[in-house]
Amino acid sequence: MTSTFMLHQAPAGARDWLPVEVMQKQWLSQKLEAVFSQWGYQQIITSTLEWVETLTAGGAIDPATVIPLQDGSEKPLGLRPEFTASIARASVTRMQETPLPQRLFYNGNVFRSSQEHHGEQMESYQAGVELIGATGVLADSEIILLLSDCLQAVGIEQWHLILGEAGLTRSLLAPFPENLREKVRYCIAHLDRVSLEQLPLSRELQERALLLFDLRGTPETVLEKVSQLKLDATGKNIVTNLKSLLNLLSETASFSLTLDLSLLQTIDYYTGIVFEVVAETERETCIIGQGGRYDQLLGLYHPQGENLPGIGFALNLEQLQTCLLRQQKLPETTPASDWLIIPENVAAQASALNYAQQLRENSPSLRVELALEETNASNIRNYAQQKGINRLAWLKADGNAVVEEVEG
Amino acid sequence: MITVALPKGALLEDSIRLFQEIGLDFSALNDPKNRALQIVDPTNTARALLVRALDVPVYIEYGQAQMGIVGYDVLREKTPKVADLADLQFGYCRLSVAVTSDSRYERSLDLPAHTRVATKFVQCAREYFHELDLPMEIIPLYGSVELAPITGMSEAIVDLVSTGRTLHENGLVEIELLFESTAHLIAHPLSYRLNRGNLAHYCDTMRQTITEKVAT
Repeated sequence: MTSTFMLHQAPAGARDWLPVEVMQKQWLSQKLEAVFSQWGYQQIITSTLEWVETLTAGGAIDPATVIPLQDGSEKPLGLRPEFTASIARASVTRMQETPLPQRLFYNGNVFRSSQEHHGEQMESYQAGVELIGATGVLADSEIILLLSDCLQAVGIEQWHLILGEAGLTRSLLAPFPENLREKVRYCIAHLDRVSLEQLPLSRELQERALLLFDLRGTPETVLEKVSQLKLDATGKNIVTNLKSLLNLLSETASFSLTLDLSLLQTIDYYTGIVFEVVAETERETCIIGQGGRYDQLLGLYHPQGENLPGIGFALNLEQLQTCLLRQQKLPETTPASDWLIIPENVAAQASALNYAQQLRENSPSLRVELALEETNASNIRNYAQQKGINRLAWLKADGNAVVEEVEG
Repeated sequence: MITVALPKGALLEDSIRLFQEIGLDFSALNDPKNRALQIVDPTNTARALLVRALDVPVYIEYGQAQMGIVGYDVLREKTPKVADLADLQFGYCRLSVAVTSDSRYERSLDLPAHTRVATKFVQCAREYFHELDLPMEIIPLYGSVELAPITGMSEAIVDLVSTGRTLHENGLVEIELLFESTAHLIAHPLSYRLNRGNLAHYCDTMRQTITEKVAT
């Protein structure tokens, strides 16, 4: 087989966005950004390039997923796989003087090396927020309610929140012997019950592990089960806060919520609530967003090592766009031009340019385009019809125009 | 409605029986006259997709089926992102290294480096020899792997063995075991977390059925 390098194709895992898709994406972005602003969040644009060390400092980003760049810098550079690390860095350094809390939002592309090469996208887009310097139940509910507001604004019909509590799960895992705790955690995070059952645990600990494995459901049933488990003081405190959060949410919002204390990343910087947003269409269930509280991350970037609490979420715009397309919520065509201006001959070119400019100045929202090629009238009408342009103006050299309205 | 992915071939009959025991009857798939690739059970509570064993975890990972039965060998080969919920204790087989019976190799480490090894389990074989620090030339085949050493295309094979009869009849011997395999119950992680269509209930019941069987 010969090598199939294709000059005319985008690399596997990369894609072009054509005008209709761009319009859909902008529709989505504008709606989300409007909600972010309503809640007092301000946009930040961080660098697409970061030191790989900056990106991986929090421990949540696997260096293997960072696409590296070579430019002769003293340390390796990489393309950002998410925004949180970059915003954390900017927030505690260049924005140190900003009064707390800082409310920041972002909307941009992220990159992930696709290790399995199944053609998954390496470049994708995320929009999200970070609330920095605020802790407590009210800050947590702000983030979840803001998320809910975003999904409502874009018109996602069926969505669920899977809510976990990394701190509580950590505390529930505390009784496991240290040499096995990571394995227990891995099995629970990856829903590998078969391996979990094979770990050399005492009967009591095995029961606890299996209970943790399935510790999810409605908040009431899960909290009931948790109340029967032995918890240290930290754990009890977390449960109290979690109950207040759930109460506050039930009084202010209505969406379907699963409390899932087995929701874990194997390595993570989350310290408090963690969540995934799941959208359901007839044909599939997909994660359209995720987030959580990270109270130990900012200290890593602070020049004096000072720590600040943080919480945020990211929405995965491609998944969101796919869901909305299935629900037929997105615009499906780009708008046609309103006018086509046709110079009758070479002598009429100046008056055609002037006429078009006059139209644009009189009414800035109009889309006015020029016929560039000298051709016969029927070709021009054909073109206008194909492009859905309803108004044609034929310009003479003396500046007079014959306006022709075409049925759309 | 939940959708179940069932593997064609050796595991099918037992899989259908197990689903029958938890109240979902897909026995129509077993009818030799049946040509349908998807059917709904008579009570209209679940749909079954009949797919190749290697494709079961694919349908589950992408969420088009929420629950399925597949050999552990397939899970090891494809490392899909699925919930591995129970060892169903049937469909025993093992992935082994085999060579021609007149060969002088008695264990994997006897094989010289850069030997050719034919297999359907390319990932497992690669991993195995990598761990042994033996660089090998892995030849992917899709069936009748036993022919590779007989014809001289490879020195050894890595293949599934259940009774060992096929190997024996083709003049091959097992020299080492990679792992043992049985049928596993797997599920789509997100659907499992959200308990779509009461998925957790079906998985629990199936696990209990197996535990009771083993106990008796």
